[in-house]
Order: sequence, then C-alpha cells, then structure tokens
Amino acid sequence: MKMKFLLAALLAASALLLGLVANASSGSKDAAKDSPAPAISAEQTAHNENLHLEGEKRFRSNCGRCHTAPPKFPPRMMATIVRHMRVRATITDQDMHLILRYMTE
Amino acid sequence: MVCSFVRWPRKVAKAGLLGLCFLFSFALRAQDDGFKADGFKAVPILTGSTAYFTRVTAGQYQDAPSVSPLLLLPISDKWLVEAKGSYSDTFSKDAQGDYNGAISYGMSYGQIDYIANRYMTFVAGRFITPFNIYGERLAPNWIRALQTSPLTSPVTSGSGLGGMMRGGFPGTESLNVTYALYFSANNTNHILATDRSTGGRLGFFLPRQRLEVGASFQQVLQADRAHSSGVFMEWQPNREPLTVRSEYVRSSGTKGSAYWIESVYRLSQIPSLRRLELVGRGEQFFTAANLSAATVKKLGALGKDTNEGDFGMNYYLRSDVRASASYGRQFVLGRDANLWTVGMTYRFLMPMLPQGGAQ
Repeated sequence: MKMKFLLAALLAASALLLGLVANASSGSKDAAKDSPAPAISAEQTAHNENLHLEGEKRFRSNCGRCHTAPPKFPPRMMATIVRHMRVRATITDQDMHLILRYMTE
Repeated sequence: MVCSFVRWPRKVAKAGLLGLCFLFSFALRAQDDGFKADGFKAVPILTGSTAYFTRVTAGQYQDAPSVSPLLLLPISDKWLVEAKGSYSDTFSKDAQGDYNGAISYGMSYGQIDYIANRYMTFVAGRFITPFNIYGERLAPNWIRALQTSPLTSPVTSGSGLGGMMRGGFPGTESLNVTYALYFSANNTNHILATDRSTGGRLGFFLPRQRLEVGASFQQVLQADRAHSSGVFMEWQPNREPLTVRSEYVRSSGTKGSAYWIESVYRLSQIPSLRRLELVGRGEQFFTAANLSAATVKKLGALGKDTNEGDFGMNYYLRSDVRASASYGRQFVLGRDANLWTVGMTYRFLMPMLPQGGAQ
C-alpha cells in the first residue's frame, strides 16, 4: 500500500516536472543551431535537394500515418527517436536514414 | 499427462529455430557493409504523454488524469532500451454522491532491442504483441484519433514476455515488406501478466499509394489454446488529408470476433480550421457461438453482441498539445449507452543529458 502511494507521488511529481522542462528543452532553435553546414558544389546541392525531397516523401508516407509533423529536434534526439520508430513501426533501414537526414537538415 | 519425449523435440525445435535466426542474422551482418550511424550519436530521451479526460459512460461520470512516460536509452549504434509505464487515477461518484479514486498503473513495455542488420531487429523483454495496427501503432493516447478503445482490443493478448524478431525491407521499389515473429512466456504477476503464446504479423506497404495491408496470427499455448487471426489496412490518399483504417480479428476460443473501420479527415484546406481533424468510427463485436450462461457472465463485455458508432474531433493547439472530444452510441441488447469523452493530451519530449542533445 505504501509502495502505491510512493509510486503515485513520484509519477505525479514527474508529470509536473516534465511539463515545466519540456518547453525549455525542445524547440526549433536548437535544431537550427545544430544543423550541419550546407553543401558547396552545384552537383552536391542538387544531390542534397533530391535527398531532402525523398526524405520528406518518406516522412509523409511512414510517419504521417500516425503523427502530425513535429518541430525539428536536435540531431542527437532525432537519432534516438528514429531508432525507436524503426523498431516500433518497422520502418526500413533505407527509410530510417532518409527520414533522419530530412529531420536534421 | 504428456510424456517427456513429446516435449523434448519441441524444445529442440525451438532452440534450433532460435539458433537459425541468429545464424541468419550474423550471415546477413557479414554482408552488410552499408550500415552506419549518420554521424549523430543518439542521446537518451524521456518522452511520453500526460492527459486529462472526462468520460461519461451511460450516465456515469469519470475523471481520469494520467501520465505515460517512455524512456529511450540508446547504447552504441545497435542497441536501444525502451521502457514505458502508465499511471492513472480515475475519479467517479459513488451511490452516496462522494468521489472515489481508483489508481491503476502498469508497464506497457520494457524491452531491449538489438538492431542486428538492416533487415532484422531482435527484441527481448516485455513487449506489445505484434498484432494488426491498433496495439502496434495507434494505442498511445496522443496518437489515437478516438480515446475509446475499439471492440477488437480485448479479443487478443496485448502483451508478451519473451523474444521477438522484427523488421522491414524493400521488396521492390514500390513495395516495403514488414514482419514480426514472437514467442511469449506465461507470467502471472498482477501488473505484468502475459499469456504463453506465439504469433506474428506480416505487412505490405505501398509507399506511392500510401496503402498498407497485412495479416496477423496469434496462438495461445495455455488454457483453451485459442488462436486468433486478423487482417488490417490503412490508406492515406495522396490528394486528400484523409486516413482510412480498418482491422478485423477473429478468435477460435470464447472471445468472439470484431472489426472496426475509422476515417480521419484533417481540415487543412480551410486556413482557420487547419488544426482540426474530424473522426468517425463504426465497429461491431460478435460473441463466440454456443457460449454457456456461466461463460457469458464470466466474459462480461465480451459476452454480448455489440454495435458501436463514434464521432469525434481533435484540435491541435500545438503539434504536442491536443484537445479532443467525442460522442459514441453503443448498442448492446437491453443496455444501449451514450459514451461522451472530452479532454486534453500533452506529448512531452526531452533529452536526458544536460547539453540538450546538441551534437
């Protein structure tokens, strides 16, 4: 019985803490700051553009089935999220890499 | 009583199958020279949702705040530890007019994943059994379009404790194949209860048409040894902000069969209403044939044919905050009921390292 109350208190405190911290820790500001530098040559730019479009397409067809488009998160967080979704939603390896690239640009 | 020599070959077969799976995985891994981690080192994350819903079921009010935290802990490029818990306190009025709370908590899954190669992931621990689409994808309250669970949910065993092999691969340029196979042991712990069962799921996804169809199978290896089979589909037309989903499940035991079909339409073409989505769902549940009166009583909700229609709406205040409301009418012989739900969901997400997930 005591354990139940301890657990309840712990979870309730966690929920409150999460609500406060979440806004401070997530957002597009970090994502923009952590984005990799843009490519230089025209050929590379065209290649990157293709990968971007393909990534967006894969995002819409895979992730869009259950999720609305979220804000872009920092790359290291996205790496974890995409790995989680690869397992949970059985996303193919190819799609996972393209989606990760698209979500971290 | 079963002779030991009957059991023994089964164990050998299972061990052999597991050994083959590992061998196959290592053989593929040896050929797999393209797997790399995109240069980003994954960071531990705490995510999940908090929600507050008021439900009125056949005139009975319930208020239910809840929290469902999910911890994701990546280890090197190949491993991921996932643990999701749930806690809720449901308040309702008793006959004297006083509010009483009933606490419920549990662990949805606590598993360790090993990404063996680009086609295969091994999962060990407590996991959600791979069956059709609702339990697999749509069950979290910040994802499901309607907060009431469909009538197919109680027909199959929802959680497993053991091992699973799953993955996806491109069959052709326009077809992805996904699969999952699992084995679960019996567990009688009141929070982590699971059935001894085995089963799998096979899906075919056409990315161009944005259509997925598939089938699932589950064999319970205890009690009445019932088996369940199911089919599912999900379609998102390219030109319309519409999702149509459906699943059907049938059990050979006492749990009957059920299906539901759901459509979700996002009003994205109307600027002032682009954050609003409308949802409709129709479903039917059919009891198993030839049930005795005692079995019907024991089965409760699964003992009566049920028809249900639900209509709801979700409004995204932000991508992570959603307000929901729905109305449903349940038709059960001699016990029709109105089902009202209104509430909010907040999906949180934060890194577990002080640098905030920066590269």
